[in-house]
Amino acid sequence: MSETTQKRMRIYFTGVGGQGTLTATTLLSRAALDAGLELVAGEVHGMAQRGGVVESVLLLGGWRSPKLDPGEADVILGFEPLETLRGLPYLRPGGAVFSSSDPLPPVSVSLGNAAYPDLAEIESKVRAAAGVCRFLPCRELGLQAGSVQSGNTVLLAAACASGLLPFGVDVLEAAIKKYLPAKLQEVNLKALSLGAAAVAG
Amino acid sequence: MSMHPLLTGGRGERHLLLTNEAIVRGALEAGVSLVSCYPGTPSSEVPDTFRKLGSDRYVLEYSVNEKVAFEVAAGAALAGSMALVTMKHVGLNVAADPLFTAAYSGLPGGLVLLSADDPGCHASQNEQDNRYYARAASLPCFEPASAAEAREMTREAFRMARELQQPVMLRTTTRVNHMRGPVEFGELPAERSQVPFERNPGRFVAVPATARVRHRALVSAMKKAREFAENSRFNTEHGDSGVRTGIIVSGVSRNYLADALATGGWGGRVRVLELGMTWPLPEKKLLAFLSSCDRVLVLEEGDPLLESGVRELAQRHHCAVRVEGKDELLTVQGEYSTTLLLRRLAQYLDCPCPALTSAAPAAEGLPNRPPNLCAGCSHRAVYYAVRQVFGDDAYYSNDIGCYTLGVLPPLRAADFLVCMGSSISTGSGFARVSGKPVVAFIGDSTFFHSGMTGLANALFNRHDLLVVILDNGTTAMTGHQPNPGMAQEVLGEASLHLDIEAVVRGLGVTQFARVKAFNLKGVMAALEDLKDKKGVRVLLAEEPCALYARRQFKKGTTQVAEVREQGEDAQRCLDTLACPAFYRDGENIAVDENLCSGCMVCLQVAPKAFKARKRG
Repeated sequence: MSETTQKRMRIYFTGVGGQGTLTATTLLSRAALDAGLELVAGEVHGMAQRGGVVESVLLLGGWRSPKLDPGEADVILGFEPLETLRGLPYLRPGGAVFSSSDPLPPVSVSLGNAAYPDLAEIESKVRAAAGVCRFLPCRELGLQAGSVQSGNTVLLAAACASGLLPFGVDVLEAAIKKYLPAKLQEVNLKALSLGAAAVAG
Repeated sequence: MSMHPLLTGGRGERHLLLTNEAIVRGALEAGVSLVSCYPGTPSSEVPDTFRKLGSDRYVLEYSVNEKVAFEVAAGAALAGSMALVTMKHVGLNVAADPLFTAAYSGLPGGLVLLSADDPGCHASQNEQDNRYYARAASLPCFEPASAAEAREMTREAFRMARELQQPVMLRTTTRVNHMRGPVEFGELPAERSQVPFERNPGRFVAVPATARVRHRALVSAMKKAREFAENSRFNTEHGDSGVRTGIIVSGVSRNYLADALATGGWGGRVRVLELGMTWPLPEKKLLAFLSSCDRVLVLEEGDPLLESGVRELAQRHHCAVRVEGKDELLTVQGEYSTTLLLRRLAQYLDCPCPALTSAAPAAEGLPNRPPNLCAGCSHRAVYYAVRQVFGDDAYYSNDIGCYTLGVLPPLRAADFLVCMGSSISTGSGFARVSGKPVVAFIGDSTFFHSGMTGLANALFNRHDLLVVILDNGTTAMTGHQPNPGMAQEVLGEASLHLDIEAVVRGLGVTQFARVKAFNLKGVMAALEDLKDKKGVRVLLAEEPCALYARRQFKKGTTQVAEVREQGEDAQRCLDTLACPAFYRDGENIAVDENLCSGCMVCLQVAPKAFKARKRG
């Protein structure tokens, strides 16, 4: 068991299958590794890919357990508002939430068999529970940058720009340049500045 | 050849890897020559990574089932090569027969078996603990807890397999397989490591006379393995030597323990023995640890195997240590976690448990997201047709794959399911005694896995059932791995396409129809025709997996469906077909253009309500 003096942090990612949550987790993990941090990431694969909930974690500074229990996350990155609300118990008191405000209704909602919670209500519940709370129109900002998928980078950039992570937007920017395919870089760099600006504004 | 760092990265390089990728690197560093597998979560990324790399360092095959995969790997190891065989935990039940015998004969080239267990049933029908197999078949066993360890242990497992000439088990669990962490590379060998095969029927031909001799050889090999375990760098002890409160821990629980001790600030209050090589037990090391403790707590997910071993050891050596393990908190079910161990350690150390508070309670009544058959999935079309023709009169025997999701309403196409390949045989037995009509569903990969034998049996024993083969041309559930039913142009030169109809007819099926799954009229007509017949009947319904077609063939249709008339018909289609591309727009029903794959099954279900239009 190695001991480290790095600041410990646990980040919980949640989204919907097909959204690219795991790709985003890996990008942030690579950024953290390049920033010299100790890290472990964990993912849930398998049946989740068929439109189910996709959860992952990124543990920084020496944490090792890939499964989080309620109250263990310092930060939640929610790629879909309903999933942010569902994942909220994972947050420790005073923790931070960065979430997309663009709903992806589950099938039961599309078919009229269940109701999607009111967005304002989701936001107020999250705001009441979290120490820091930012909802961002990731889809719209992603489209503005050039693709829906780059909305994930908007969210990552917002978290990095908040100053709450042990590294900043510059590290994420370097990771985008180093790890994303050339054709995706321009769009994602634009998404990055939109995300960072959204938090600054 | 790929320029992937797994293939080109040199000694000392550090990369962020999934544990399953780290296993690949470890096997490459060991000098693996052959990899065989049957895909299954959480093991699939191991062979899939080998496939992505596509190197001439090794040959990779997707075998038709786990037994075959094990036998192929055993053959390669007999011939003197290092072989890796990968499967999920339940797959090892299928491969158990060759496993036990291969351990008797031994395999000179060196075979490593990856058994990926799934505590918590993330994607499985049970949470069996395959460490039993290491004990039952006598295999040295390694259990990594991180990606970095997975590389090292895979390499060490191969070294040991070669030296002992015995199969070695690498046992992982879902959380470990799907962890990602930095991995420092070792050297890649210049060439594959090979030993010659020396004919020796007295050893390699499993008959009673050789088996008796080889059982003795196996016992002595395991004695040697125990010595390895005693000195293994993966079995470590830490904590102050004066502390007489002990913890013995293995597998992923090592991570939960580390985090729980850090959270509680209890590091100085316990002495910990971590086991990474977990079978055979390092008895001397354990005994020394037990003798220096007043109490030990054993932490392991799954069944109390390590705990039983520790208790037995203490009893045998009259060691007065008090052993604790499974109880009402640490059960045999599901996964452990940091907070679970915090609670248990607080009891064990008789100190207050740090407050475990959450920012918010679980929100109630939120709509769930169960996994669902995709929009444009051909299984939905076939299930719809079967339900129209048979309704609740038939009993539905289902099997393992994406199509198991047909259990959900409104399709409700599964009344029972036992295991991979069971639909035909279990359906046969059900029909025989119940006298009810039975429809058995089975996918293409599962048919080749173990459905063929069930079909042969159904014919041989004159069973009475309708078998519907849902052929989507790929192993969809686990990530589109090849199987013999896949099209030749996709398989490439290394594999040969097998025609399912030829197999079915070759076995002796005469009541047979082959349909396109999206041709609803054709499917229903064939079902009506087969419905009233007796004996074994087979319907082969073909249509490529929609996801796979989009990715592999870049095939997107130019047309999508749209609602042209609201009302009863549109509602009936939504209620009975329940395609996820449908959504409610106020009072109206609409089709999401981005989700619609253009299968046009809804147009056939409700021609008045839907029409086709150009995409965009």
